[in-house]
Amino acid sequence: MTVEIQFDTSWADGFFQKIEDDGPWGNWDLYKLAIEVEKHTVIDDFEGLQAPKHLPQLTPLPHQLEVAKRVVEDMNGKAILADEVGLGKTIEAGLILKEYMIRGLVKKALILVPASLVTQWANELTSKFYIPAVAQKKSYVWEQYDVVVSSIDTAKRNPHRDIIFQQDYDLIIIDEAHKLKNNKTKNYEFVQSLKKKFCLLLTATPIQNRISEIFNLVSLLKPGHLGNESAFYEKYKRDSRSLDDNEHLKQLVNKVMIRNRRADTGIEWTDRHVETIPIEFSQEEQQLYDAISELRSEDNWMATSAFSIMTLQREACSSREAVFVTLKNMLAKQESPSPAYEQQIQTLAEKVQAIQRNSKAEKALELIRNIDDKVIIFTEYRATQMYLQWFLKQNGITSVPFRGGFKRGKKDWMRELFQKHAQVLIATEAGGEGINLQFCHHIINFDLPWNPMRLEQRIGRVHRLGQEKDVHIYNFATKGTVEEHVLKLLHEKISLFEKVVGELDDILSKLEFGNFEDYLIDIFGHSTSEGEMKIKMDNLASMIQFAEEMKGSETNAAAGNSTVS
Amino acid sequence: MQQQEIQRFLKNYFQANGCEIIEEEKGYMTVQLTIELDKELMNRPFYWHYLEKTGGVPNPMKLTFITNQEAAPEHIKGEVIHFGSPRLHQIFQSTKNLAAYIRLYENHRFTSGQQVPLKPWLGLNVRISYQCDRKRDVFKSLGLQLINGQIVENFHDRLLNLQLTPKIPDYSFTLSPLIMPKSGVSRIKNQLVREIEQEDDNWAVEARERWNKDLQLLEHFYEEIEVDEKGETYENEKKALQDQYEPNVKISIVNGGLFYLTDRAV
Repeated sequence: MTVEIQFDTSWADGFFQKIEDDGPWGNWDLYKLAIEVEKHTVIDDFEGLQAPKHLPQLTPLPHQLEVAKRVVEDMNGKAILADEVGLGKTIEAGLILKEYMIRGLVKKALILVPASLVTQWANELTSKFYIPAVAQKKSYVWEQYDVVVSSIDTAKRNPHRDIIFQQDYDLIIIDEAHKLKNNKTKNYEFVQSLKKKFCLLLTATPIQNRISEIFNLVSLLKPGHLGNESAFYEKYKRDSRSLDDNEHLKQLVNKVMIRNRRADTGIEWTDRHVETIPIEFSQEEQQLYDAISELRSEDNWMATSAFSIMTLQREACSSREAVFVTLKNMLAKQESPSPAYEQQIQTLAEKVQAIQRNSKAEKALELIRNIDDKVIIFTEYRATQMYLQWFLKQNGITSVPFRGGFKRGKKDWMRELFQKHAQVLIATEAGGEGINLQFCHHIINFDLPWNPMRLEQRIGRVHRLGQEKDVHIYNFATKGTVEEHVLKLLHEKISLFEKVVGELDDILSKLEFGNFEDYLIDIFGHSTSEGEMKIKMDNLASMIQFAEEMKGSETNAAAGNSTVS
Repeated sequence: MQQQEIQRFLKNYFQANGCEIIEEEKGYMTVQLTIELDKELMNRPFYWHYLEKTGGVPNPMKLTFITNQEAAPEHIKGEVIHFGSPRLHQIFQSTKNLAAYIRLYENHRFTSGQQVPLKPWLGLNVRISYQCDRKRDVFKSLGLQLINGQIVENFHDRLLNLQLTPKIPDYSFTLSPLIMPKSGVSRIKNQLVREIEQEDDNWAVEARERWNKDLQLLEHFYEEIEVDEKGETYENEKKALQDQYEPNVKISIVNGGLFYLTDRAV
């Protein structure tokens, strides 16, 4: 067989010039060093990973190294990385990109991620992998930089689109690739028309509903791997719910997809201890709560402000400060409030004034003293956050505030203060570009968000890779209030706290039923009786259980490393 | 490369370039750059341009490299250097750029009063890269005697045993080459190509098999679509497979030059 042999002539051209000009010639010591460098950077084996040698600060987990090795050695650089949430797909993709760059197989790489993650990806590649990745901001970036991170939505539009097609990318990485399940969309068409020499598709939920989705995803990566469209659908039922129906198909898919599960990684996850802390209102607090609840029967409230009443109820479970801020805003929002309305607000404000102590805060103080270790308190309300900071200080406990709106630098600073100087972090938000707080393992949910994903994000800050201790979660629930109902639903009916982070996402995405919070608002805001509320809650719980069972049956569908029964 | 090796390498590099090592302790070193090396490494053309225009006093930078964070004292601030750090690779590249071409004479130290003839050699250090969807490299060093055409392997290692100097030593004269440098380079090239063609090419055969397999899948994917409707995407995918798998070998020259050596040297 003949293999093309190319001989680089650029050196020789320079050499003849030097001879003609009689120099200048290089220095013998440097010449020897250059050969030393060459011998150190020559890679004399097709196999094996070089990247870890170049990344002494990074300690990849065994399963992450295994993935990188398989993609390079067995999958020829085209793969769907489908590890469960939280196992570090970004690290895997970074290792693979680094490996190819070290070996000189990839020079230009395009990384397409959701808009909210563009900066984070660019930062991680630069700081963790020493890959000079640039977040796309101006259109000239495409030509000037070799490694560019962008959102698909930007990339697919002109002028970017045309410029991108003129580049010769060696590797394309697409995060959240499950969004490309429909082959009729513009995004799909765009990715399909990119030249993909090497390609990584990252997704945590590769097989959601129909096998048509897996067909589209695999065909994007490796057209023909699952046959052509008509042959594929002839063989497999289009609406088949899972890959389990067909062993052969499953094997085919596993040739281009790697899916690690938590259980397979061999990483020891610490336990979670969940405790419900029942809170009894003081007499004054109870009176405020009752007064708010009674508004439901008032004509001028029921029709228009079910939502406001619920907000006030929830706030009354948190702090009088939270209620007060909302009351003030409600009054300010009305252009010309009726005397009756003003009177109602006034009455409530008086009840707020009458409250002398916060039962929850007192309980929290007692708990923090007993724990005698770092604690994170989550609350939904800024007013509560500020009150708690004051209250803890009065009682000699140091705390730092944390909000999602803080700039990156401030977030890191607060994290550091908490780690080194304060016992308590009081946070209003956990989501977004979060911080990792593995050094702490006690969480107090002072009040509950009605969006279970937010609750999961709260826990995810602490219970993640790197947490060495068991995690304790204390859920405060005031007796006889909406809070108690919601906690019951989340805790007992759908066992939220026993689920691993990411699992709920899987489940909810299967339901496609929209906003969980809206359901709760409907249940608590529009139920006319205790009985109706109970039925609606049971319905919601069984919907989620159903989705969970569906998921259970698919668990084995894409068994990467796990054994399939 | 171990951390001590890196520190030794950096020291050699800066000293070879005439920079003063201001401080060197276990785990770190501080070096005063020369103007040339500041321009080579620090990427601040505007500063130098400004200075040349205004005639100011040049102030090349001082750099501190930490090669071992545990050994270096805590108060030392500097760039942490390890095998993967971009700065080290920049210096690697610079080393190769600054020493791509050389001409040296053997410093034989014969004192007999007799004139010693030095024979011309062409020495080339090359990297041979075998590339498909994977890649491996081989380093080779060849020397070609430019009078009789003899080719020797591991030429660089032989040079390391000799005393070499950039100026022709006393009591020496150089013999004129019969083979011109241009044809010398192509003789070495032909020798390398012959060797490569003799080698086991299983890696390339397997790469072609992988390529063919994926190509067949691709054809099957598009087989129901009329030829003229397959369009750009199909051609694109085909090209992508070629880029991914097509085996080839690249020979690139790291550095090399002319060496005038005594008969007993090689």
